[in-house]
Amino acid sequence: GEAMSIQTYNGAAIIAMSGQECVAIASDLRFGVQNQTLACDHKKVYRMHDRLYMGLSGLATDAQTLYKRFVFKHNLYRLREERDMRPQTFASMVSATLYEKRFGPYFVEPVIAGLDPEEGHAPFIAGMDSLGAMETAKDFMCAGTNSESLLGVCETFYRPGLGPEELFEVISQCMLSGVDRDALAGWGAVVYVISKDQCIARTLKGRMD
Amino acid sequence: FSPEGRLFQVEYAMESINNSGAAVGILAKDGVVLATEKRVTSKLLDTGAVGCRKEKMFQLDDHVAVAVAGLTADANILINQCRLAAQRHRMTLSEDIPLEQLVRGICDLKQGYTQFGGQRPFGVSLLYAGWDEEFGFQLFQSDPSGNYGGWKATAIGANHQQSQSMLRQDYQEDVGLSEALDLALKVIAKSMDSTSLAADRLEVATITREGGAVKYKLLTEAELKPRVEAANAAEEKKKEDK
Repeated sequence: GEAMSIQTYNGAAIIAMSGQECVAIASDLRFGVQNQTLACDHKKVYRMHDRLYMGLSGLATDAQTLYKRFVFKHNLYRLREERDMRPQTFASMVSATLYEKRFGPYFVEPVIAGLDPEEGHAPFIAGMDSLGAMETAKDFMCAGTNSESLLGVCETFYRPGLGPEELFEVISQCMLSGVDRDALAGWGAVVYVISKDQCIARTLKGRMD
Repeated sequence: FSPEGRLFQVEYAMESINNSGAAVGILAKDGVVLATEKRVTSKLLDTGAVGCRKEKMFQLDDHVAVAVAGLTADANILINQCRLAAQRHRMTLSEDIPLEQLVRGICDLKQGYTQFGGQRPFGVSLLYAGWDEEFGFQLFQSDPSGNYGGWKATAIGANHQQSQSMLRQDYQEDVGLSEALDLALKVIAKSMDSTSLAADRLEVATITREGGAVKYKLLTEAELKPRVEAANAAEEKKKEDK
């Protein structure tokens, strides 16, 4: 193989979008090591609790480890506070955790999507770089090996105030066409649509290349 | 050590726990019951305050809970350590911590305070209730010495000797959860000072399995009331019969 770039070693595509009293978060399913694809069922979106999901793009091993660390912290929070974490609190925690490793970082870019229980389940979307620099957005957040592509399709297809079903359609189209130009992401996708009372997960069939 | 080979500080710690509210644990074939007597019952207590709603009963992880007897402040430290141990295990091994490993870890911590550092032991006894895949439902007891044992039924705190002998007489193997609950309430009632049980002076929890997952349930006052009333009625009847 060629020279390894740690950010593109595994490959990923993640999109989060906000709608009317709902959010959606999607990731591709490819797991590969540089050019070689090893699996097409490797989700990059993780459930923290019923109304909070996190996507982790970048180096797969760091994503796995970070997810386990966040489960650790959230479990303790839930035992002590007797409630689930609010999305913004969780995002701050993720940011702090990443910054702790400022001079030897985790090679991941998180995307967080959830509903805020204290603001009438208002949608919450945030993303950050591998050092924890956080940005929240009202519309969508993208991360991955070809995030510019993803941003392009999202910018084109997104509109505010979409209901859960429409949001699912929009985010799915964005994901499937966004990964077409990315050799390291794709091979199917998974989409979670989170509303106040339920979360529906759907797997998309895409081009398997 | 004392000249007779005793550790007085450890014994004094265990003695101090006898002043605290009673806790009873019973192993049933389909779950574990923990019943405790609350001692702090002022009506000025803010029962909505997070983190201190409970006095005696605490969840440690999805599959294990403890009942506490002794110094509450000491107990808080141990409970936190238990929770951390459970999460550490989950993070590295991707599984629920087996109950005995959790108990052993905490007991090793407690034992340290009886041997080095010059610090006093923790004035806490704990009843651990939980489920793991290897051994199913389990009940453990630990004390300030760092000693622990697995039990089918046991009691700690005030009047625990009396409760223990009651359990020895009345406990039956393979009892169902409901009967275990009633037995636990009967034993707790006997050990409490007041003549009849009141649901707001108890914290009662069960560990069961539902749909493949372990469930920790702290009974509400509404759920406790009918059982408490039944226990009181049975006690009344026994007195009348005498």
